[in-house]
Amino acid sequence: MSNSKKDRPELKGLPEPEFRKKKRRISIVWLVPLLALAVGGWLVYKAISEKGPTITITFKAATGLEAGKTKIKYKDVELGLVDSIELDDKLSQVILKAELVKKAENFLSENTRFWVVRAQVAAGSVSGLGTLFSGAYIGLDPGKPGRPTTHFKGLEIPPVVTTDQPGSHFVLRAASLGSLHIGDPVYFRRIEVGQVVSHKLDQDGQAVTVEVFINDPHHELVRKNTRFWNASGLDVSIGADGIRVDTESFVTLMIGGIAFDTPVEQEAVEPAAENHVFKLYKNRESISEKTYVRKTRWMLNFDGGVRGLNTGAPVELQGIQIGHVLDVNLEFDIDKEAFTIPVLVEIEPDRIKAIGDFPESAERPRIMDHLVGKGLRAQLKTGSLITGQLLVALDMHPEAPPANINWEGLYPEFPTVPTSMEEITTSLAQLLNKFEKLPIEQIGNDLRDTVSGAKRLMNSPDLQKSITALNETLNQAQKFVAALNTSIAPELKSAVSNLNSALIQAQKLAKSLNSDVAPQADRTLKELQSAARSIKVWAEYLERHPEALIRGKGKSKRR
Amino acid sequence: MNRDLTTAQAAGLISCHSCHLLCERGKQSWDRICPRCGASLHDRKPNSIARTWALVLAAIILYIPANVLPITVVISLGKAQADTIMSGVIYFLHTGMWPIGLIIFLASIFIPMLKLLALIFLLISVQRKSNWRQQDRARLYRIVEIIGRWSMVDIFVVTILVALVHLGGLATIHAGPGVLFFGAVVVITIFAAMSFDPRLIWDTEEVSHE
Repeated sequence: MSNSKKDRPELKGLPEPEFRKKKRRISIVWLVPLLALAVGGWLVYKAISEKGPTITITFKAATGLEAGKTKIKYKDVELGLVDSIELDDKLSQVILKAELVKKAENFLSENTRFWVVRAQVAAGSVSGLGTLFSGAYIGLDPGKPGRPTTHFKGLEIPPVVTTDQPGSHFVLRAASLGSLHIGDPVYFRRIEVGQVVSHKLDQDGQAVTVEVFINDPHHELVRKNTRFWNASGLDVSIGADGIRVDTESFVTLMIGGIAFDTPVEQEAVEPAAENHVFKLYKNRESISEKTYVRKTRWMLNFDGGVRGLNTGAPVELQGIQIGHVLDVNLEFDIDKEAFTIPVLVEIEPDRIKAIGDFPESAERPRIMDHLVGKGLRAQLKTGSLITGQLLVALDMHPEAPPANINWEGLYPEFPTVPTSMEEITTSLAQLLNKFEKLPIEQIGNDLRDTVSGAKRLMNSPDLQKSITALNETLNQAQKFVAALNTSIAPELKSAVSNLNSALIQAQKLAKSLNSDVAPQADRTLKELQSAARSIKVWAEYLERHPEALIRGKGKSKRR
Repeated sequence: MNRDLTTAQAAGLISCHSCHLLCERGKQSWDRICPRCGASLHDRKPNSIARTWALVLAAIILYIPANVLPITVVISLGKAQADTIMSGVIYFLHTGMWPIGLIIFLASIFIPMLKLLALIFLLISVQRKSNWRQQDRARLYRIVEIIGRWSMVDIFVVTILVALVHLGGLATIHAGPGVLFFGAVVVITIFAAMSFDPRLIWDTEEVSHE
């Protein structure tokens, strides 16, 4: 077979193709890769442009976190995804690498906080139940703007308030935390207005700093003179004024809390600035004590026993507390060979409002000197008979021996008068003194006179005569009795025996009465009693409704 | 391979692609139309190599997002999980369902890749007018053409899953954007295989075509 068609007669005479004019052009098919390139390029651009910052977060443990699945959310909006979870070199913590969305770049700063959101059930609240199904996620709080960074330390405890929440933070300083926890409520007039955000021990371990957050409209209620106090749990106090039980609300009873109030007697003070530092008082009572800045300390020396006087016991003036006992000591004076009990008290002089003008020059010591000169003394008094607590009472004792304030020493020494108990002994002594002063000699003389008068009376002849007459009468009486003895005695004997038998019979009767009649009598008595009662009721009724005598007892009482 | 065979081209003839009428090649080598049915007449598929290259390139470009972007998003109990083809394969292998994993791997990753590589190899060898193992290359082309469509299995799996799994809050499956790109890769590679003219493999013996 040949390759040439000239040799193939059957292929001859085939039709010639026709032609049409057509410009040569680049094939349209190249649009396909161009399109693919455009789409691919767009995807790449999108991926690059939307690629946010990659950050690392360290946590102590990765409980519930999964690489590639755990999301980072802010206000429940997804902002990123955890790419990997690794342990650090020391195996002490986990390092999370997460990729955030592009927008996150704008607010990520050193103040940004991350924490793991898990389901939490506490006494006061239940949160994050959704995570039971969807798994834990990482919460984000942008925080205040700051230096940008991509390395973060995750919070182990979720923060109570996030930055976007309107309100103010305040710092409270307390001697001890009490039963406060993070998230505990803050009350104002028993309305929950905020929460405890954090608490930490001071560096030197001497005090506790508690941070609270007060929600928006209420944070203006916090003035510079506002007092915060610990409303945690139940506050039971036994003092000179008896037993007190105080609590802010049932929730605080369970979980603790803080309450605040602004003293009303003072003029409105400007609202406190953010992070203003307040003192956290231990209870509601103590807030009013400390409103007085000026304090003076006095030493009181008591000679008698001070059993029942505790530190913190009130110092009262005319029954109003003006201070409290700081310290009670026991001292032995070797020279005098006597025990004294110095009691250190703190008095807030501002609690006493001065009416009228003090002379400008009048200094405090001189006023006090003057008052003491007039008889102002300190005295121990029993505040409560039940608890036996003592209090220090300042009172005017004009009758007291004159004394002065001893201004020497660390604290000025205020003169005291003996305790009430001491007073009783003193008055007993006084009583004895009075006895001593009685005119006993004169009384003796009078007594002697009376006796001599009687003697004289006895020796008189009239009395002799009377006695002889009496003797005769007595003799006659003796005779009469003898006659009686002989004549009346036998009859008397029979009478006595009769009486005896009669008594035996009476005894029998009484016995039968006891068995037969007594129950009846008892019943009768009971009936009588009820009758008497109804008469009493009737009488009372009559007393209230005298008209019942005429109209009868009304069936329906109208009151 | 160099057997003494007559081709239509060598005989100065041309066959209509649509009605298979045998014509003279004519003087002009372009813009010829079939006198019977009016279809364009070509010695070989027109612009075959360029077209195939274009489609292969497009497929390669689209192959990347097809594998990087998720093809399914499973929302189960409020927890969304996006899966790419490869993560799905790994998931099946991990859970012990390796036959399914193998099928998906072959159909969705291996075969498209094989097709693209095979087409590139054929294109290059044709352009270099290689005489090397023409028959094997022809067989390769046939394999590519036949198995290419099986890559659509993956698309069907996703389609069925999306249609069937609608259990409300319990579990829902959405198709991810990767499906679109993957489907495009499969379709474009099929077109690429179609636009390639296997006769070009044998044309090395004759100097002139088109």
